[in-house]
Formats: sequence, C-alpha cells, structure tokens
Amino acid sequence: MSALASVSSTDDAVSELCVRSQASNLASIAEFVSGRARQSGMDENTVFDVQMAVDEACTNIIEHAYAGRGDGEVRICCYVRDADFVVRISDDGMPFDPDAVPEPRIGAPIEERDIGGLGLFFMRQLMDRVEFRAGDLSGNMVEMTKAIRGRR
Amino acid sequence: MEIRTTHLKRCDLIEPKGRFDSSTSADLEAALRASMDAGIYRLVLDMSGVEYLSSAAIRALVMAYKECRRWNRGDVRLAAVPERIQHVLELAGIWSLIQTFDTTTLAVGSF
Repeated sequence: MSALASVSSTDDAVSELCVRSQASNLASIAEFVSGRARQSGMDENTVFDVQMAVDEACTNIIEHAYAGRGDGEVRICCYVRDADFVVRISDDGMPFDPDAVPEPRIGAPIEERDIGGLGLFFMRQLMDRVEFRAGDLSGNMVEMTKAIRGRR
Repeated sequence: MEIRTTHLKRCDLIEPKGRFDSSTSADLEAALRASMDAGIYRLVLDMSGVEYLSSAAIRALVMAYKECRRWNRGDVRLAAVPERIQHVLELAGIWSLIQTFDTTTLAVGSF
C-alpha cells in the first residue's frame, strides 16, 4: 500500500480507505472491503461478489479515469444502510461515461468476443444496484449496493 | 500470487495460486505465453489454488484458449475449479466453452 493509504472509521460505522491509483493497491482494497462486508454479516459468497465488483470498479478507475497515472486518489467508502451494504468509490480522474461502454457479447462465439466491457458487466451482475455520477469538472463517483442477506 | 509450470509428456501443467487481479494477471498471461512460445499448446491449468480471477485474468485465459486451439493444435483445459471461480467463469460466458475436469490427473489424461 502506498504512503497515502489511510483508513478511517467514524462513529456512524462509515469506513473509508484512500489509496493511490496503482494496481498494486488492489489487493489492499479487496482486503479492506471484504473485512467490512464480512462485519456486516454477509455470507462468504456474497463477500466475494462485493469484493469482485469493487476490484473491477477500481481497475476501471486506475486504467481509464486516471489512464494509468499512479498519483491519483481512489477513495472507497463502505457503510450499512438498512438491509444493504453500500460501497461508494470516488476519484478525481477523467469523467467516465458508463453508457459509452458496449456490453460484452457473452453469447457470441469466442472468436467474436470483444476484449473490453467485462469489468462493468461484472459490477452490474454481481451487485443489486450500480449508479454512476460524473463530477462537474473532473472525477467520478459510483455507488453500489448489495443486500446483506440476499441470495445469488 | 505464485505460478508453477511443469512440462509433462503430453502437455504443460500450470498451477496458478492466489489472487489474479489486474495487477497480477500479467503474470498469468506471461506463464501461458511462455508455454505457447515454447510451442506447447496443450495446457492444463490446476485452478485449485486460485482465490480470485478478475476480468483481466479472464481475458488472459481467453487469449490463450483461442491461440492454443488455432489449427487444432491444442487446447486449454481446467482442473479442480473452485465453486466461486466457476461462478465467475459462468458469468463471463466461458464456462460452457472450456473443458473442465474434477482432478488434474483426469485433465492431463484427457490429452
């Protein structure tokens, strides 16, 4: 984890992790999110789904919003809202338009499959709700929720 | 993360262990590439030690699958796939394409 990394927790049980936009931080992000998801009472399969959705979201930020620049900030914030586990991820990178990403052609013959779009597809498949909000000038925010006692 | 490759008589046995996110999937790609560059296109991946496979790692797997099967020269077969990894491969729509086996012995013997 880079020197920027910081974990904070307030009395409302909102936990935040802030790391540099480097792929080498993805393992720390997964550990942080898995720990908080587990604390909320989720079963291990659901914890896995949530950490995967977050991993794909943060990969998109590192590779696209920051275009590989390693000195940006990725902020991951987790909390429980009613019966849901909520993860909000924000950055200060280039605005990202999720509608511009074509859906992967899952049913197509393998030779015709496109390379991109799989990360976003996984996020939507694994979480109950995924909402993007682009910043006015720069930066993005994505909020994803998953029912703590949902079935997959 | 750790990857071991063993050259067997009929195929290469590749044993990736740990998390394969977009940071570490390059190592998986390099291991697959090394076998193919050596002219070995019959690959068995023992998946029992894989904790996580991201979309980047799946792209590496699909790349190797396509390249190995070109001109019927080989195949990529999976062994001992953990349930969660199977779920991810199902979501990606590649579970039904790739041949899978319960054990590494069965997968190696299939070549």
